[in-house]
Amino acid sequence: MKRWPYWVLGFWLVVVACSLLYDMQPDAISLEQVLAPPGKSTLLGTDDLGRNIAVRLAAGAGVSMLVALAVTAVTLTLGTMIGLLSGYCGGWVDRLLMQVTDVFLAFPGILLAIAFAAVLGPGLDNLLLALCMTSWVGYARLTRAQALSLRQRQHVQAAQSLGASAGRIMRKHMLPLLAAPLVVEATYSIAGLVIAEASLSFLGLGIQAPHASWGSMLRDGVRYLLVAPHYVLAVGISLMSVVLAVNVLGDQLRDAWDVRRAKD
Amino acid sequence: MPRQVLRLGALAILMVASLLLLDACSRDSRPGEIRSAVSQLPQTLDPRYATDAASARVNRLLYRSLVDFDEHFRSTPSLASWRVLSPRLFRFTLGPSGRTFHDGRYLTAEDVAATYQSVLELPDSPHTGEFANISKIEVRDENTLDFFLNEADSNFPARLVLGILPAELIARSHDFSRQPVGSGPFKFFAWHRSLNLDRISDKQRFVFEEIRDPTVRVLKLVRGETDILQGDLPPELVGYLQKQPGLHVQESEGSNFAYIGLNFQDAVLQNPLVRQALAHAIDRQAIIRHTLAGGSRLAETILPPEHWAGNASLEPYTYDPEAARELLHRAGLSLPLKLVYKTSTDAQRVRLATMMQAQMREAGIQLEIRSLDWGTFFDDIKRGNFQLYGLMWVGIKTPEIYHLAFHSSSIPPKGANRGHYIDRKTDELITVSDWPNATARIHEQLPYIPLWYEGQFAATRKHIVGYQLKPDGSWDGLVNVKRSKLKSVFPGKNTLEGF
Repeated sequence: MKRWPYWVLGFWLVVVACSLLYDMQPDAISLEQVLAPPGKSTLLGTDDLGRNIAVRLAAGAGVSMLVALAVTAVTLTLGTMIGLLSGYCGGWVDRLLMQVTDVFLAFPGILLAIAFAAVLGPGLDNLLLALCMTSWVGYARLTRAQALSLRQRQHVQAAQSLGASAGRIMRKHMLPLLAAPLVVEATYSIAGLVIAEASLSFLGLGIQAPHASWGSMLRDGVRYLLVAPHYVLAVGISLMSVVLAVNVLGDQLRDAWDVRRAKD
Repeated sequence: MPRQVLRLGALAILMVASLLLLDACSRDSRPGEIRSAVSQLPQTLDPRYATDAASARVNRLLYRSLVDFDEHFRSTPSLASWRVLSPRLFRFTLGPSGRTFHDGRYLTAEDVAATYQSVLELPDSPHTGEFANISKIEVRDENTLDFFLNEADSNFPARLVLGILPAELIARSHDFSRQPVGSGPFKFFAWHRSLNLDRISDKQRFVFEEIRDPTVRVLKLVRGETDILQGDLPPELVGYLQKQPGLHVQESEGSNFAYIGLNFQDAVLQNPLVRQALAHAIDRQAIIRHTLAGGSRLAETILPPEHWAGNASLEPYTYDPEAARELLHRAGLSLPLKLVYKTSTDAQRVRLATMMQAQMREAGIQLEIRSLDWGTFFDDIKRGNFQLYGLMWVGIKTPEIYHLAFHSSSIPPKGANRGHYIDRKTDELITVSDWPNATARIHEQLPYIPLWYEGQFAATRKHIVGYQLKPDGSWDGLVNVKRSKLKSVFPGKNTLEGF
C-alpha cells in the first residue's frame, strides 16, 4: 500500500509513453459526439468538440511531464550552481547573488510567471521560460544554506589545505552531500510545476488550442460542469492523482534519507 | 479555564454572526427589482461613441431616436415623421411622444440638430462617416427641422437612429458615457458595479450585472439571484436551462450575422481563389447543427433574407475540402497554407475557431488561432492588424451596412471596411443602392466569409411575465416585462434557506 505513488506515477509514465509511440489523434474533432458521457466507444467520454477525453488526458499528461521535468532539470542545475557559488565563496559574491535571489523570492512565483507569459505571449516555449525564471530560487536558497555549513566541515577544509581547486571541492566534496535534500526539494517542485503549468494554461497563457493540456481542459470542463460533469471530473482526478503521488513520494524520500529517522 | 470558554463562546458568536451576514448578503436585498445577468456591460452610454452590442442595446432603452424599424426592417417614425421635399431635402416633424428628457427638459428640434451637429463635428466619433452626406441641418420651429444632403439618398431616414441628447448638455460637454440623459423609456439611476436603470412608466428598477462566466450566469438564474438571461450561452447550457423547473426558455431565429473577415492587404488573401477555398473549407451546417443555439441558420450576406434589402437567391458555398484544395493549387500555393485567425478569449468563440481549424486542415489550410482579450483584439481589427478574424454584426437594420463595411471610402477610421476591400464595381453598386447586385458581387468577391445568423434565446424565471425576445438580441423586451406579485410574498423561496 505504501508503494501506491510509484504505481500512479508508473501508470502515467506508461500512458505518456503510449501517447508518444502511437498517434492517437487527440485533436480529432467529431461533432456528432459532442459531450458524450463515458461509454462503449470512449472510455472517459468526449469533450465539447467531440474529442476523446482519455486520449487528450494522455496528451496533456505528456505536456505536464515535459514541462515539469524540463523546468526541474534546468532550474535544479541553475539553482544549485548559484547556491553553491554563493555559499562557498561568501563575501560580495554571496551578497550579490542573494540580493538577486531575494528579489525573485519576494515576488509570488505564479504571478511572476503570469506576468512573463503575458508579456512574452502565450505558448509552450514562453511557458517554460516563465516557469524557469521563477522556480530556481528554492534550490539556490537551499543549496546556499547547506553549503555554508558544509564549508566548515573537516573534509572540505582538508581538501582545501591539500590544494584542491574550488570547482573540484564543490563538485566532489559538497555536491554529493547536497544531493539528498535537493532531490526531495525537486520532487516537491515537480508537483508545484504540474500545478503551475495547469494554472497558466487554465488562464489561457500556456498551451494554445487545439493542443491538449490539463489546465485548458479543466477550463473547458468547468464551462460544462452542469451538463457534462464527467469532463471536469476526469481531468481533476488525473491532476490530483499526479500531484498527490509526487508529494507523497517526496515525503517518503525525505523520511528514508533523514539521518535522525533512519536511526530509529 | 473560564477565560477559554469565554473566548470560544465569543468566537462561536462571531462565526454565527458572520454566517448570518453572508446569508443576508446572498439574498435579494431589494425584492422589487428585476435583475438581468449579462456577459458584458456597455462600454459607453454615449450613443455618439457606442459601437459594442451591449452599449447599443442599453442606449436603445435610454434614448429615443428620430426613426425606428418595424419587424421587416423598414423605417418607421419614432420621435418624428418625415416628408421628402426633394431628393436632397428631408423635413422631419417631431411627434407628441417621447419628448421629455429625464432631467425634465422638453425635447425640441434644436436638440435633434445639436445631436447630429455634434456627431459631425466630433473628431473621434466612429459614427461621423455615416452622416457625411448631411450638408446642412436647419431648424424651422420647435417641432420641425430640415436635413439638406450633398447627394440624393432615398434611404436617408433609416440612418437617423442615433439617440437624441439635450442640446444644452452637449454645449457643456456633459459626460454622457457615465451620466446619460435621454428621453427613452428608461432613466439612468446608478452605475457602480452593476448598471441600474428605472423604467419611467412604473418606476420599476432594473439591474444589469456583468457575470463573465456562463456557468455562473446559469446558476444565478436557477438559484433565483437573477431574473433574466439572454444570449451568450453555449447551446448545451440552454438545453440544461430548458430542463429546470421554474424557468421559461424562449428560442427564436436571429438576425445577427457571424462572419470571418479577410485582410486584402495580405498578398495571399488578395487572390480570389484563396478566398473561395476558405469559403469551401468550412462545414457550416455541421457547426450549426451540433454546437449553435436552436434558431441558428446559414447566412450568405449581412442582412437576412427576410429583410427588404436581403438577397435570398445567393448560392451557398458548400463544404467541399477537395474543391478547396483544388482552388489553392490553382492559386499556385504550396500546401499547407498557413493563416492566422484572431478571435476573442470567449470560450464559445475559441470553440468555433477550433472547429473551423479542424475542418480547414482537410482542405490543406493550417489555421493558427490567436485568442486575444477583447480590447487588444478589437483594436487589432480596427487597425487592420490581422489576416483573418471572426466577428459578428449585431443589430444591423439597414443596407447602409454595406457602405460601412465594404465601400472603399469606409476604411477605418472613417468606417468599418477593416479588411481594406477596394472594388470599383462594388462601390458603384452600393452608391446606386442596387442591393441585389451589390450583395451578389460581395458574395462573389468574399471580403467576408459568411457564416451564420446566430439563433436567439432568453431564459426568464417564471414570475417574470411578458418578456419578448427580439431577433437581433436587443433588450427592448424589457419595456413590457412585468414581475408577477407572487414572488414578493415569498422572497426567500428560491434562495437557500438557513446555512
